[in-house]
Amino acid sequence: MSKEQILEVIVRHVREAIPRLADHPFQPSDSLKALGANSVDRADIIMMTLESLSLNIPLIEMAKAENIGDLASVIHART
Amino acid sequence: MRGLDRSDIVISGVGVTSSIGQGKAAFISALLEGRHRFDVMRRPGRQRPPHSGSSLEDIAKSEHAPCFLGAEILELSVPESIPATMLRTASFSGQVAIATLHQAWEDAGLDKVAPERIGLVVGGSNFQQRELIQGHDAYRGREQFLRPTYGMSFMDSDLCGLCTEAFGIRGFAYTVGGASASGQLAVIEAIHSVESGRVDVCIAIGALMDLSYWECQGLRSLGAMGSDRYANEPALACRPFDRDRDGFIFGESCGVVVIEKQQSARRLERSPYALLSGWAIAMDANRNPNPCVEGEVAAIKAALERGKLSPSDIDYINPHGTGSAIGDVTELQSIRQCGLGHAQLNVTKSIIGHGLSAAGTVEMIAVLLQMKEGKLHPTRNLENPIEPSFNWTGSHAIFHTMENALNLSMGFGGINTAVCLQRCS
Repeated sequence: MSKEQILEVIVRHVREAIPRLADHPFQPSDSLKALGANSVDRADIIMMTLESLSLNIPLIEMAKAENIGDLASVIHART
Repeated sequence: MRGLDRSDIVISGVGVTSSIGQGKAAFISALLEGRHRFDVMRRPGRQRPPHSGSSLEDIAKSEHAPCFLGAEILELSVPESIPATMLRTASFSGQVAIATLHQAWEDAGLDKVAPERIGLVVGGSNFQQRELIQGHDAYRGREQFLRPTYGMSFMDSDLCGLCTEAFGIRGFAYTVGGASASGQLAVIEAIHSVESGRVDVCIAIGALMDLSYWECQGLRSLGAMGSDRYANEPALACRPFDRDRDGFIFGESCGVVVIEKQQSARRLERSPYALLSGWAIAMDANRNPNPCVEGEVAAIKAALERGKLSPSDIDYINPHGTGSAIGDVTELQSIRQCGLGHAQLNVTKSIIGHGLSAAGTVEMIAVLLQMKEGKLHPTRNLENPIEPSFNWTGSHAIFHTMENALNLSMGFGGINTAVCLQRCS
């Protein structure tokens, strides 16, 4: 799966967790925190993404990601 | 006890959600008409697999043990002011609590009260069981993907967090558990917090008990929940105090009452619903589910004494009345022993079922709304009362002016609670 496809999965779950972002034009530089996702929302979004991709990666590895583009890169590196 | 001043604590706002309607107007209207929604329960996770969430037709064809009957909420309306992100991670009990608290909040005009002076007591424990079982079933064998929110939402106290965040409550918030007396226990705790001056206003929530098929099975095996006798006639199954009763029938509900002193409630341009004149808790010193006349009588007498009331002052009793074989008989013995045999009786559970943790609060709201209407709702399925000499309100609503009402709750583990409500002129 490409990094872009992983980003699409992340965006889908962000929209699921934060419905008011349904029409937000997502960019890889978007920060989940800046978009209004609290720590629990962020953990849920990452877990939903890992579940969709059937990837078992420790959540701690995602901590360094500063935006959804970084997150896609970290996940892509483990696929 | 005799030295205590007369109570000046009132109920200033209410909210209610049940199978027969959301909001006080829909609730009292359905109660007075005796409308009900008893059926085979269909909410996912309420029937033993593989029938959970199946169609009624599929369940009927089953050769399994009789299905669990109950009265479920058909549709829940949550105010738009509640963020969708909050609702996404809220359990069904949590969503119903928020929607019901919103009604009470508006009713009592709590936006005008300082958030630091508002407290919250949530009545109930282990009330999100179906939600938890659904989560376990969905992630069994792939537990690593369990949603992180489970780590906080599995606790009942999540309702305290949800409600304080949604409404900006900053006084205090905690849960209290007293089995089927939890709702009334929450009210009594709220009274204490206002009486002591800890807060100016305290909200008591009787949380929706969200049973899974495991709890239904346990309660059936224990002999507490019916109905083998009316497995194919759900409308007839819930029949408190009737000779043909065979246990309680579950009903989803949630009740919220707002409690404060009369002085504080003067911000409202109307009278409070009622004065909380007396209240009491008494234990049977018995862990088991069986009731006890001694404990029930102790609670009733202490509540009357706190309210400086004599038995003849009570003109209406809303009893616990679950429909259990021993519980109903014991309760009538207790009522008679307290010299209350003259009072008019009806049974709210006959219309909405037993809300368990919510029952005490929801039934108190039924008392308040009937008091306001000057009418008593009918008692369904009371064809042959086990004690015909009591003043039962039968199959039709009646006019009845009430000055003082007594509301009773009892729970497993030997807890008995009683609350006296006086009409505000």
